[in-house]
Amino acid sequence: MKIGVYVCECGINIAHTVDVEKVVEDVQNLPNVAVSRFYKYMCSDPGQALIKKDIKDLQLDRVVVASCSPRMHEPTFRRVLEETGLNPYFFEMVNIREQCSWVHQEKEKSTGKAIQLITGAVARASFLEPLEKKEVSVIPKALVIGGGVAGIQAALEIAEKGFKVYLVERSPSIGGRMAQLDKTFPTLDCSACILTPKMVDAARHPNIELLTYSEVVGLDGYIGNFKVKVKKKPRYVDEEKCVGCGLCAAACRLKGRIPNEFDLNKGKRSAIYVPFPQAIPLKYTIDPEKCITLKTGKCGDKALCVEACERNAINFDQKEEILELDVGTIVVATGFDLFNPMEKPEYGYGKYPNVITGLEFERLISASGPTGGHIEINGKEPKKVVFIQCVGSRDKKTHEYCSRVCCMYTAKQAHMVKEKIPGADLVIYYTDVRAFGKGFEEFYNRVQGEGIVYRRRELGDPIEVIKNNDKVLVKTKGHPDIDADLVVLATGIIPREDSKELSRILNINQSADGFFLEAHPKLRPMDTFTDGIFLAGCCQSPKDIPDAVAQASGAAVRAAEPLAQGKVEVEAISAVIDADVCGGCRMCEDLCAYSALEFDSEKKVMTCNDVMCKGCGSCASACPTGAITMRHFDMQQILAQIDGISAEAIVQ
Amino acid sequence: MVNEKQLRDEVKKLVSRDDVKYVIGYEQGTYGFQVTPSFAFTPEEAERFIFSPLCANNLSVYLMLEEKPPLRKGEKEDTRKVGLVVKGCDARAVVQILQEKGLKRESLVIIGVPCTGVIDPKKITVKFPHQIKPVDVREEGNHYVLTINGKNQKIPKDELLFEKCKQCEYPTPVIHDVLLGDEVKSTKKEEYKEIKTLEKKALKEKWEFWSKAFDRCIRCYACRNVCPLCYCKECIVDQLSPQWIYRSVNRSENTVWNLIRAYHLAGRCSGCGECERACPMNIPLTMLNKKIEKDIKELFQYVAGVNLEEKPLLAMFKPNDTEDTIL
Repeated sequence: MKIGVYVCECGINIAHTVDVEKVVEDVQNLPNVAVSRFYKYMCSDPGQALIKKDIKDLQLDRVVVASCSPRMHEPTFRRVLEETGLNPYFFEMVNIREQCSWVHQEKEKSTGKAIQLITGAVARASFLEPLEKKEVSVIPKALVIGGGVAGIQAALEIAEKGFKVYLVERSPSIGGRMAQLDKTFPTLDCSACILTPKMVDAARHPNIELLTYSEVVGLDGYIGNFKVKVKKKPRYVDEEKCVGCGLCAAACRLKGRIPNEFDLNKGKRSAIYVPFPQAIPLKYTIDPEKCITLKTGKCGDKALCVEACERNAINFDQKEEILELDVGTIVVATGFDLFNPMEKPEYGYGKYPNVITGLEFERLISASGPTGGHIEINGKEPKKVVFIQCVGSRDKKTHEYCSRVCCMYTAKQAHMVKEKIPGADLVIYYTDVRAFGKGFEEFYNRVQGEGIVYRRRELGDPIEVIKNNDKVLVKTKGHPDIDADLVVLATGIIPREDSKELSRILNINQSADGFFLEAHPKLRPMDTFTDGIFLAGCCQSPKDIPDAVAQASGAAVRAAEPLAQGKVEVEAISAVIDADVCGGCRMCEDLCAYSALEFDSEKKVMTCNDVMCKGCGSCASACPTGAITMRHFDMQQILAQIDGISAEAIVQ
Repeated sequence: MVNEKQLRDEVKKLVSRDDVKYVIGYEQGTYGFQVTPSFAFTPEEAERFIFSPLCANNLSVYLMLEEKPPLRKGEKEDTRKVGLVVKGCDARAVVQILQEKGLKRESLVIIGVPCTGVIDPKKITVKFPHQIKPVDVREEGNHYVLTINGKNQKIPKDELLFEKCKQCEYPTPVIHDVLLGDEVKSTKKEEYKEIKTLEKKALKEKWEFWSKAFDRCIRCYACRNVCPLCYCKECIVDQLSPQWIYRSVNRSENTVWNLIRAYHLAGRCSGCGECERACPMNIPLTMLNKKIEKDIKELFQYVAGVNLEEKPLLAMFKPNDTEDTIL
């Protein structure tokens, strides 16, 4: 066996604290080492050429590079081996930068440590075995979960690239949160006006199949070959026949008596409804919780909606369907919920009708809202309005992160009040105004110039909203009390209530704040740890519309890559299960974060799907009988490495 | 104690069933205070079954010892049930095996014996060292009555009882299909007195204590073979590549073996004490098991083998688990 050892100086990053020359000299004498060299930048082209030349001239069969973290350059050096005809897994990397030179100061000792680490790697290298990279074919379709602006954007972009997309939305219409907003900051575009064309595009696109009023309930498979179970809830209206004329809703006995969720229960609808006039698809849905026929089996002499519908679209016998979709990649764009201010009783939300949330305010000023855009509270136009920021954000007791949108939407809402009620008195309680986006600071300055009073308060300072006849009294520390007609709480963005359940179904992770976790906070912000599943919009972290759209475009590109390639390469390092030793206890099954393990109930042993296995080793460490070993990290290799390191330690 | 006629009738009934292969119980041993395991395939064989205070063995080990050769082509798996007589502590081992999916619940018929404690053979042989002929032992209140050469001897229970029985919290089998006789309620509590005393000693003293104990070990692996929960297809001591434990009998290797054995039972040991009973060198093996049991109880509020619905401790990872165990 011939092993080549290459030590990198990394400029002075390593050479400053490790005597590279001495290291090379020392490791030269290790068993099986045919050559050892150092170079200023091993990862550079001349560095790589040096290794290639040695492999050819000296017929090396294992290569050890002592440099930086394998995260960045392991693929680089594996390619070097591949290009010279060696199996790329005959390569071993030692991290003498992060694990040695950067964390130590005494040159002599860190040189010793570098020698130890390399000795271990050399010992391990001789036991390395060739591994084959695997390729799997990709089904050229994608699934987008969530039909808000991020989901629509992602679906459109994947569809534009020529791939079929299923866009699954839980509610009867796509549009999401953005459809609920009146105007958008800082440009004051009408939210619906810019969103609805996109909704229509998505509905009309030949490559997009809309699955509204549907939910993802199960996921199997792996990148390239996902099998998705989608529950399609019954609308009780034939989508083919319904033209959205609305005669049914006008005829419904419960017309104007059911709170409309889209208007956050401020407006009223019928039992048969579309959530908002621009809904896509414009197909009516019967609320099974409310409809008299569905609840009691009888609605007067005859259901009035059935009578009203000229196209006989209503069908009370519709049943829930489970669709099975085969897709190659998935974009998750499930959006967010809003913080419920009832959790902070000091704001008086839920107690007094004068206290509302930011989103409720959006419906109040929206022309399609319950009041037709007229701001009124208890039937009167408010004269004194107080906005309170950071409700449920930046608060260690509820949610520690900043929700990023509240400062600006509050400024926008204040501006809207000023526009609609010019004489109104407006006070905004803020902690810090975070106007970081394009045009944000300018907008903030503009709003301040409109005579809106910004009052600073510390988040920890007590605040109290109490009843005062038909008004409320806002009491804060260090400021005079305000007798307000209306209090708007800038509630923050929180993860969807069912994020946990979805994360379990999709096998993706959540960060500590409950949002879905990206694979790398800087460099892989749209990826998850599960290959083939990507994130877009507020399901990953609070975002404003442009950020959500940008991320959705990015996620669409990432999701389309494997579809375009037609195949994906999967990690060759995976678990191997010795069926003769496996006791079938299935302890590993739950630990596998990638659903790669499957129980063979006939042979009563666990089996591993090499394509899904990421080689993380959780199963191997948990296996009580030691039946699981990891390719590239088998017992012999690890023990040789430990022996190498400790033997060298004794020598020193 | 159990009515033996009722036991035999029950076993006869079971082995007559088509879906029961055999029943494992106890029969009179050939000499002294021995009882031996008995396997009844027919109602006649069930006549041999006994239950006395000498029935210390944990028979659940035989469930895991049955050899199951690979099926021939066209041959169907024998899915008949196996019957088993269990005491309180034995039943916990069965629960643990079931939790670990070592066996299926439907493959077992469990005959539960509410237990009032069993005799430690080591204690009784000290009192009657050269007893060759079989001895009849009965329980009468707080005493055991031994009939030796026609003469009755009355000995207080406490003098002969296993230490584990004195602190037994689960005398009635936690799992059973048939229960012979009335439940025995326990008012005892495991207080780990012996463990607490040892814990307080200095490191050096502890090391001396265990070095002495492990020096005696002859590596016969009786402790492993008798343990119902040591059922790995390939035991760590049998592995050659890598060879974790060398075969030489010396303090270092003996220590490694005995500690690994105890650790491999962490969160699994049901405390039946068979390892110590089987040990020919009188190594206090239950002390190791008990120490781990105590720590686990304190760290995770977990007791092994009492709840069939639970997962095994080491398969129940929770993000808020205490990290005190991580060295």
